[in-house]
Amino acid sequence: MTGPRFDVDPDTVGRDLLALVLTVVELLRQLMERQAIRRVEQGDLSDEQVERIGVTLMMLEQRMTELCDQHGLRPEDLNLDLGPLGTLLPRD
Amino acid sequence: MTQPVPAVPPATAATYVFAVCRHVDEDVLPQLPGITTAPVRVLPFERLHAVVQEVPAADADRRSWTERLSDPRELERCVRAHHQVVTAVAAHGPAAPMALATLYNSEERARQALGADAARFHTVLDRVDGRVEWGVKVYVSSASAATKAGRTAVPTRVPAGPPPSGAGRAYLERVRGTHRAREDSRRAALLTAKETDAVLRGLAVAARRLRLQDQQLTDCHRAQVLNGAYLVDESQAAQFTEAVATLRERTGALIELSGPWVPYSFAGEDGLHGER
Repeated sequence: MTGPRFDVDPDTVGRDLLALVLTVVELLRQLMERQAIRRVEQGDLSDEQVERIGVTLMMLEQRMTELCDQHGLRPEDLNLDLGPLGTLLPRD
Repeated sequence: MTQPVPAVPPATAATYVFAVCRHVDEDVLPQLPGITTAPVRVLPFERLHAVVQEVPAADADRRSWTERLSDPRELERCVRAHHQVVTAVAAHGPAAPMALATLYNSEERARQALGADAARFHTVLDRVDGRVEWGVKVYVSSASAATKAGRTAVPTRVPAGPPPSGAGRAYLERVRGTHRAREDSRRAALLTAKETDAVLRGLAVAARRLRLQDQQLTDCHRAQVLNGAYLVDESQAAQFTEAVATLRERTGALIELSGPWVPYSFAGEDGLHGER
């Protein structure tokens, strides 16, 4: 497979480990986002709850972007190629 | 077990098979280098002709071939040589191309094994006679870089203090819109693939949808949604290329057409069914 690999190379291991950690965090963030949208669509949340969840997710998104910028990672670096299963996070 | 093992005469050369046809124009063979230095020649069996070449037995075992084909340069040389022989032979009549590195321990073994498959070769040759293979690949462009890896396009402002009221709901709405757009474009892409395949199948004698090629092998900014092979009558070539041009216009997708090829995709077992 030709996907991004996390080779254990002393020069890059720190950055690769960070990319791996952020990938997992990004996966959880997107899962939370999906779950929140599902709940909103079901209509069983109060306006106040929707607003609070929305703001929390928005801040989380901004913080992710900042972290990526700080470490020179592009959004597409935060992904894993799972071969025949496709990619961990949606790509397009 | 103490049964004596039947003595196998030590074969001096293995036999490499390029293709099987009904009749070979022997004049073209001397110009073909093939895989080794031995002459490319005809091996007759069951009213058919195999195009073969001798390979030193020492080079013919599984291990040395695996080694050989894992060297990219040697692999390229073999693929080119194989393709050259197949193309040259197919130019003079229907030919069933064999897979790369089809080897038998001896000429006698080759004759036996090919002979056992004679009926299948006749079927394949009937099927590909007067027909060629066209390859069609359809790509759709991925969404803009902003939505790469599923991230939502958020204005890059860093607000001081608490966000304005309603910002949370607006954010969720935006994310929802992005998800919807992604779903829609995926559905549209699948539809384009299906439509293209259906139209071209109508012009083909047989068709196969091959495994999609890795996006990263091709291009990160476009996704392959169809990798099809179509067996088409030579007389239908113009209609087929025209249909591809029309589909290009109608769907707006990037459609790559390659061919005409020797019908590699329709020479095996799968090709007999024309489906997969």
